[in-house]
Amino acid sequence: MSTDSIAADLTGSVDGRIAKERLYHWLLFGCAALTVIVTGSIVVTLAVDAITFFRQVNVVAFLTGTEWESSRDTFGVLPLVTATLIVTVISALVAIPIGTAAAVYLSEYASDRARSVLKPALEILAGIPTVVYGYLALVYLTPWLRTAGLELSLFNLLSASIMVGIMIIPMVSSISEDAMSAVPDSLREAGYGLGATKFEVSTGVVIPAAVSGILSSYILALSRAIGETMIVVMAGGMQARMLDVTNPFANLFSSGQTMTAAMVHAVTSDATGGTPEFYSMFAIGLTLFFITFAMNLLSNRIAARYREEYQ
Amino acid sequence: MATTDDGTGHWFGADGQVSQLRGTLFKLSCLGATLLALGLVFVFLLYVFNDAIRPASADTGWLLTVGGATVLPAAALAVYYYRRDTRAGEVAYTAFGLPIVTTLLAGGVLIVFRDIITAHEWLAFVVAAAIAYAVVALHRRVRSNSATALERAAIAVLVPVLAIIGVPGFSVDRSIQTPLLGQELFTLSVSVPSLVPSLRGLILAQPALPIPPLSLLLAFTIPIAAAAAWHIRRVRECDRDAAIAGGATVAVAGLGLIAAPLVGLPTTAWVVMTTVVGIPVGLYVESVFRRREGVTGLAFPVVIAFGAALAFAVVETLGFAGPNLWLDWSFLMSGHNTTPREAGIYPALVGSVMMLIVVSVAAFPIGVGAAVYLEEYAPSQGHLSSVVELIEINIANLAGVPSVVYGVLGLALFVRGIGMQAGIVVVGGLTIALLILPIVIVSAQEAIRGVPDSMRQASYGMGATKWQTVRNVVLPRAMPGILTGTILALGRAIGETAPLLMIGAAAVVRVPPDTFFSLFSAMPRQIYSWSRLIDADFRYGVLAAGVVTLLVVLLMLNGTAIVLRNKYQRQE
Repeated sequence: MSTDSIAADLTGSVDGRIAKERLYHWLLFGCAALTVIVTGSIVVTLAVDAITFFRQVNVVAFLTGTEWESSRDTFGVLPLVTATLIVTVISALVAIPIGTAAAVYLSEYASDRARSVLKPALEILAGIPTVVYGYLALVYLTPWLRTAGLELSLFNLLSASIMVGIMIIPMVSSISEDAMSAVPDSLREAGYGLGATKFEVSTGVVIPAAVSGILSSYILALSRAIGETMIVVMAGGMQARMLDVTNPFANLFSSGQTMTAAMVHAVTSDATGGTPEFYSMFAIGLTLFFITFAMNLLSNRIAARYREEYQ
Repeated sequence: MATTDDGTGHWFGADGQVSQLRGTLFKLSCLGATLLALGLVFVFLLYVFNDAIRPASADTGWLLTVGGATVLPAAALAVYYYRRDTRAGEVAYTAFGLPIVTTLLAGGVLIVFRDIITAHEWLAFVVAAAIAYAVVALHRRVRSNSATALERAAIAVLVPVLAIIGVPGFSVDRSIQTPLLGQELFTLSVSVPSLVPSLRGLILAQPALPIPPLSLLLAFTIPIAAAAAWHIRRVRECDRDAAIAGGATVAVAGLGLIAAPLVGLPTTAWVVMTTVVGIPVGLYVESVFRRREGVTGLAFPVVIAFGAALAFAVVETLGFAGPNLWLDWSFLMSGHNTTPREAGIYPALVGSVMMLIVVSVAAFPIGVGAAVYLEEYAPSQGHLSSVVELIEINIANLAGVPSVVYGVLGLALFVRGIGMQAGIVVVGGLTIALLILPIVIVSAQEAIRGVPDSMRQASYGMGATKWQTVRNVVLPRAMPGILTGTILALGRAIGETAPLLMIGAAAVVRVPPDTFFSLFSAMPRQIYSWSRLIDADFRYGVLAAGVVTLLVVLLMLNGTAIVLRNKYQRQE
């Protein structure tokens, strides 16, 4: 098919060909530029409605309030922030040790054959929809933890955060593994040449050399945990509760509402277009967007620095 | 340096003390962590499957018959392939998986022809598109030397538009407001009747169109059979084989017009099944025989099929009761119901399929276009280069924005901005398309980067322009990689729930959506609304069946992507 079209184009007018080339150039540029437009429209649309929200609710009261009761028009964001923090911390405690250890095993110890099975298996875990993870947390994990003797309510932050942690393990392990595999073999050989054991080379050479890649995987995973919605909505419940510093386990074992869950609540409850509750969604969304955007930017910076080191 | 032991000044540890125990413990704990991550989810999934299929509710006789007739022979064959002939093992699993994947695909196609586009509409579309293509090609040939670029472009754009869309009438009736402030400026009210009907519309308006199965045979089976025949002709370099392959396919599909009613199958299902399942399987079997590698692997699906038939016969005659499934045919084919036993997922399944169509139509061309620009056109110097850098950083960051924020964006942009109705298929599809766009771009960029530079230079050396090089050299080479990335992104799209909640996808839909502008629900949305019900039968039975359906579709998508990637990597 291509032969006669090329022949026709080559014998066609030069002007037409240049115009065509230029047209395709700008068309493709438009596709790429669309991503910037998407970012811009996220910021603009969220900001416009967030401004509407802050006309109705005082900004200071929003940022410092310790009570979030949308039915009584009380909007203090701190309970949502603390619940999000709890989820992030617990999920990090689950995902970071397991994910890093899995990455070390895959990159340093696993045979080619074991890696060819384990790595795709972990990748498949990353592809499981979050609604399924939420279901697993609600229907299996919470009852298990209850039989193990924890006094959990039906919806609780503990099983939600553990499940978020399990969900982000593949992210930590696959990015960290990439970073560790990229460490040049000459460094390892130098270590062995000095008489180091495999354990010493892994912990003393490979991990320090790949540390920026590993750190960037942690930040990415945490940003994912902050933005995770379905697991916390399904298993964590919808009740905003301020962190009780004297007894943090009370928050962990009972239901709580994260920022993302509050957004879902705002849109699925009976709140109609004009109410402050509806607009609060945009204010939280804007905050969430900037937090995750900043974290991703940071992670990219750290990873880029690491990439320059060994090329 | 962190790697020097400060106490002794030696490189790690004291002289001569190499502890094996510490290293072994470390290795074991790393392995343990890997297995724990996999094992945890594996155990959870076992529970889900158990709840959805409930094997314990079957008779012991049923379990023994099915296990003895299918599972044992399959396991024996698998062990044989693993020890004796790994190549045959690969053939065996592909030959077993391919019919399953294509049957699911055929189910998707059947849903399309049942709920989205009728056979007649499809026939009219294909005929109109073929005529438009013929006209454009004819014009090229007749006026190849004298036509100006403008004329060629006009023909290439106008003829397809007239053939498929026509000049539709439209009406605008809305008030123009100043942006942001919302003051009303003036009302715009225009109404133009339909000017030129499209060729598609004209064909559709004919009084005597062929019956639906025949239309599908003409407009669906014959083009695909022709493509398969063309492929056979190329690889075998033999016209006769190609004619046999194409002719046999059409004959088998056509046989359905007579045979299907006798067997009790719907005729349309027969035509679609033989086309979508028969052609890929036939091509695969042909390629195995042609390469003469691992031919024994083909025995695997045959043995399992015979075993299944045998087990079925034995179970029927002895009257063993099978498991009391939640995930059964009626679950797949009926809508939501307040009684758990009657509840089904069909409308959500259709909604997911339609949404995926919108997502792929919107995200694929734009994503590939952006990737082509960034890899092939983007300047590294000059005033545009900083823009390009901004775009690159931006794409990486967009991939990490939470999906719930995209949901708010979709709500604000499409529902409140453009004024589309909340919760319709197009809004859901476009929102999720925005979400997966960065993923498509990044994976397409990687695929394009993998095309060796020497091929581009060879193309330029022949005098080809940049666009010709991209279209004829780079894109065909990068296409398997691009497709792999896109399929993985579609897998992500099918599981996304939070954006659907935000744009107001319906919690319960009892009838499947019939146009792209009707209200819809998708599988994850349906699963979420079931999880809000207290009834234990819903929570453990129906919910598990829905989760398994979603996971099976997803595993098929991801599995196809991985197979595609492996095949592609081996060819490198």
